Amino acid sequence: MTTKDIGPKNPVQKGAEATIDYVDDRSGIKTGTRWFLFRNIPAGTSWFQTLGFTAMVVFGMQAITGIILAMYYVPDTQGGAYKSIEHITNEVTWGWLVRGMHKWGASVMIIVVFLHMARVFIWGAYKYPRELTWVTGSFLLLLTMFMGLTGYLLVWDQKAYWATVVAVNIFASAPILGPYIGDILRAGPEFGPSTLSRFYSIHMLVIPGAIATFIGLHLYFIVRLGISEPPWSKRRLRIERDEEDARRAAAREKAKALPGSANYPASWPVEAKEAAR
Amino acid sequence: MKPADKKAYDKDYSNAKKTGKPFFPYAIYKDTIIAGLTVIAIIILAITIRVEVGEPVNPATTDFIPRPEWYFYFAFELLKIFKNQDALTPVIMATFMVPNIMIILLVVWPFIDRGPERRIWKRPFALGLTVIVTGLLCYLTWMGANSPSGVASAGIPVSGLDEQATKGMAVFMANGCTSCHMVAGVGAPGPGPDLTQEGAKGWDNAKMIAWFKAPKAPMPSYASLPPQELEDLATFVNGLGTKYK
Repeated sequence: MTTKDIGPKNPVQKGAEATIDYVDDRSGIKTGTRWFLFRNIPAGTSWFQTLGFTAMVVFGMQAITGIILAMYYVPDTQGGAYKSIEHITNEVTWGWLVRGMHKWGASVMIIVVFLHMARVFIWGAYKYPRELTWVTGSFLLLLTMFMGLTGYLLVWDQKAYWATVVAVNIFASAPILGPYIGDILRAGPEFGPSTLSRFYSIHMLVIPGAIATFIGLHLYFIVRLGISEPPWSKRRLRIERDEEDARRAAAREKAKALPGSANYPASWPVEAKEAAR
Repeated sequence: MKPADKKAYDKDYSNAKKTGKPFFPYAIYKDTIIAGLTVIAIIILAITIRVEVGEPVNPATTDFIPRPEWYFYFAFELLKIFKNQDALTPVIMATFMVPNIMIILLVVWPFIDRGPERRIWKRPFALGLTVIVTGLLCYLTWMGANSPSGVASAGIPVSGLDEQATKGMAVFMANGCTSCHMVAGVGAPGPGPDLTQEGAKGWDNAKMIAWFKAPKAPMPSYASLPPQELEDLATFVNGLGTKYK
């Protein structure tokens, strides 16, 4: 239906606008969206600054594939866990693909998070005022590593089992707190059925919750403080060139007053020239 | 950073923002392209290199290869470097000191490096650190990827074995001890120490069996082995380098 300039508004449009206004009055959603989406960022923002967003998208993909896997996975040490992994891989429609994406996604996420950190480090982007953005990000890196550690056990095959036994022993060997951490991870003094349930719960509830929280904080800091400008953006290079030119000009001015230069006053007496040398 | 530097930075950044562009769509389109390509890469990897289903867990037969995911190879290799109990390379360096120092440094780094300079070629220390840490991580990961996961061998080339020690060697082989320990050139060079001269310590069997049941991390416990096998194993290990050479 075509709308005309004059005449009453389409009731559907009117209703939609009224609804948006109603929600906006109570939540400030319009202002919030504008604050988030239409904030200005430095013009030189580079392709290297897409890695953080990419890490977040891969985390989202891990969440979706993880939810699908959880629909079929059984955390049972009496063969159930292993059988359910076999079932997902061999029988469930597209199951092999979802599991493959989850497994490869973990590796890719580690790489992307590491590259993101390297970019921030090399650019000095963690410096004032973005120190806390770095701190929240470093926790995200550690949580991502823990995600890999806890997820590895869930497939319940020999390689994963023994690697995790060794990893938990390493945690348990730490001074003072070590034995307690070991007991918490194992759900008791020995590896057993409760250990698998515990790792499953840590892997799919505790750490994802923590990661989501830290992503929220991380994003809040990024939007509030602004994304860092590349230290060699066109604008920065122009400023540095101008500063360099000004410095050179000042040096030239200074040189004029020195003996031996073309502008050195020839009318000065020879003795004064000698003394100046 | 001095207050004046902070002020100068704030002013410079607000100028950059004023002459900048809106986040939507100028940054989000780049983000979407790279993130999209990454997801496509993951799907291609998942299709071309299928994930396998490994051997089911069997805690009773400890014939295992303790290999972590590739992104923990560096930690695994660290265990091989610091695997001894001596003062120079104590195992606690790999299991506790080095990882925790690295984690603390990582988290508090912005409060250590507070200089105003952001260009990497004017921050030689940070540049050196980037190169050294990245290089070390790559090197250790590469080492981990190429490390032998327990050298397969019918037996260990030691002579003078009596009947009990022969049984003990069979237990040693069957339980994957060689995937962490080397004896007379057989087995992986770590994370566990070389046991070729283990008998020189002069332990008795009771002490060795107590160790098998409750060893120091990262070695797993072998308390589930039958008492006779533990006895044979202890006899074999306690004679290495002395009775059985």
